[in-house]
Amino acid sequence: MNPLTQSIISGTMSGAVYALLAVGLVLAFHTSRVVNLAHGESFAVGGLTAATLSEAGQPFYVYVPVAIGASILFLLAIERLLLRPRRTWPTGSLILVTLAAAFLTRGVLQLIMGVDPLSFPRLFAGAPFRLAGGVLPQQGLALIAIGALAAVSVTLFLLFTPLGHRLRAVAENPDAAELLGVNVDRARALAFGIAGALGGLSAVLLVPLVSVDYQAGLGMTLRGFIAAALAGMAPSLAVLAGFGLGLSEALVTNYGGALLQDPIVFLALIGIAVWQSRNIAFGGTGRA
Amino acid sequence: MRLLAAVILVALTNIAHAAEPYVIGIVAPTTGPLTTVGVRQLYAVQWWERTTNAAGGINGRAVQVVHCNDEGSPEKSAACVRDLIAKKSVLLLNASVTGPIRAAMPLVQNGPAMITPSPNIVPDPSSYVFQTSPSDIDLTRAIALFLKRNNTDQLAMLASTDASGEVGVASAAAVFPAEGIKYELARIDLKANDASIQLANIVKPGIKVVFSNYSGGGAAAVVKSYSNLGLTQPLIVSYANISDAFINVIKNDLPKRLLGTGVKAVVPELLDDPAQRKHVEDFMVSYKQMNKDNADMLTLLGLTLADTADAVLRNVKTPDDAAAVRAFLETSVIQSVQTIRWSKTRHVGMTADDVAILEYRNGRWTNADPIQ
Repeated sequence: MNPLTQSIISGTMSGAVYALLAVGLVLAFHTSRVVNLAHGESFAVGGLTAATLSEAGQPFYVYVPVAIGASILFLLAIERLLLRPRRTWPTGSLILVTLAAAFLTRGVLQLIMGVDPLSFPRLFAGAPFRLAGGVLPQQGLALIAIGALAAVSVTLFLLFTPLGHRLRAVAENPDAAELLGVNVDRARALAFGIAGALGGLSAVLLVPLVSVDYQAGLGMTLRGFIAAALAGMAPSLAVLAGFGLGLSEALVTNYGGALLQDPIVFLALIGIAVWQSRNIAFGGTGRA
Repeated sequence: MRLLAAVILVALTNIAHAAEPYVIGIVAPTTGPLTTVGVRQLYAVQWWERTTNAAGGINGRAVQVVHCNDEGSPEKSAACVRDLIAKKSVLLLNASVTGPIRAAMPLVQNGPAMITPSPNIVPDPSSYVFQTSPSDIDLTRAIALFLKRNNTDQLAMLASTDASGEVGVASAAAVFPAEGIKYELARIDLKANDASIQLANIVKPGIKVVFSNYSGGGAAAVVKSYSNLGLTQPLIVSYANISDAFINVIKNDLPKRLLGTGVKAVVPELLDDPAQRKHVEDFMVSYKQMNKDNADMLTLLGLTLADTADAVLRNVKTPDDAAAVRAFLETSVIQSVQTIRWSKTRHVGMTADDVAILEYRNGRWTNADPIQ
């Protein structure tokens, strides 16, 4: 086996998941101005729902849509029950509300689904592809292809469609958007629903290759948030940042070892945050 | 009249004292990444609490197991031990993992005795800490002997980046070269969900066996990656992964041959002593009735904790006297899932002779077949 090729393959697979999560986070952020720290829970909800239904003998054409539906409903509930009634609260407080929701979800999942990790059979089984000393399972190829397609589609929708423009207008100035006839509540619900669908999709594609348990959500939020932050919360860069994060993590693991992975990723995040905050530090009008 | 009242009062006080339960403290992670390790051991100890109390308790006193969840965190583990000592635990059971157990050890310098099944803990014989399993060195030596019996002198090894992984790395360095076995090593982060890069780095031509000493549910990432890469060598998983919960996660991606290190009691037929075999089989039946779940390696390790506590409470007249408990443990043989024997110079209860190399076949763990 060629470790470099394998790193690129593994990094691309992780990158597809990070891209899906980052696009969902950016989408919700661009309609509500809130970084939803419960976003990764949509991954845990979808993954555990699929695994539990699979365990109960349901076929994939039942558990896949039900799992994605559960993830959509979960984020819609966050928007409708927690954020919408508190829309006048400061953004910082709303972020804390989503963090509380993440921990509450974790507890509920532990009570309902138990503490053991779960998984379910691959949706795309068969002999893996072997290329240049690396191995790519068929499920991995599907993860990369479907993940990239979904993430890019949502990004294009947000950037280039009238509805996408309306969603972004809601974030820029909700009052003005409402005066122009945009239903702000519906726009935010739509954004959270799409974000939930991406979270659920990432779970049904990734979990067969790994496993999922009640505490998987926060780690996914963190990775998605790092990718979104690397993109500067810009929809046009979120997919690229997701794949970039996955690849850089894999290459650090290959050349530096697992012990260096987190320090280097977080160091990069701090560096980019400092770079992006230059305008704020100098009064918002560029460097002095 | 006053004298009679005083006599009655003293008698009532004694009765009340006699009725006070024995408090046994247990530290076990029941949330966090090491949940699968803590929950099963805790259930075994709670099984003992219920069956003992249902049978009238010990010496007319009930047993009260007080649990503290350390979440696998060293800081919380130390706080748990402080709290359990404050609650007057006569004995502490620690079902956590290496880092948290080590963090708690200085707190019992003057007792109470703390019992743990973690093979990574090799307590100082002058301490109040006792370990019920074979040591990690013993487990590693058992793997080395198995490889040598099968004419295999090359191994690929994955170790986690936490304190348990450090112990595994040290044991490998101490055992494998001395036994003439070359090994390739890679580390994996506890939170990682992919081990294919590490495996690509260590599974080189000529490697006939891969060993993962990664404990906990996250080790599924290793097995899944193994399957993703289409590897066919036998894979040996760690002591703490011989569980139904672990098999359940990886059942769709089982390696061609899945091996593991364990105590012989996991396969009761391997036990020579009929009394021990009956003890294990009876426990497995009763545990399943109570918990609607099969007993596995981790529950058996929990049973070693329970059996030790049981022996202390039945045989030490003053179990709240830590020195008396230590003296008893250092001079007695505890009959549990296997024989646990400590001494004044060794606080590790089992040896390499107690270890079996197991193989998962036809839905159950059994004695491993030779490597072909």
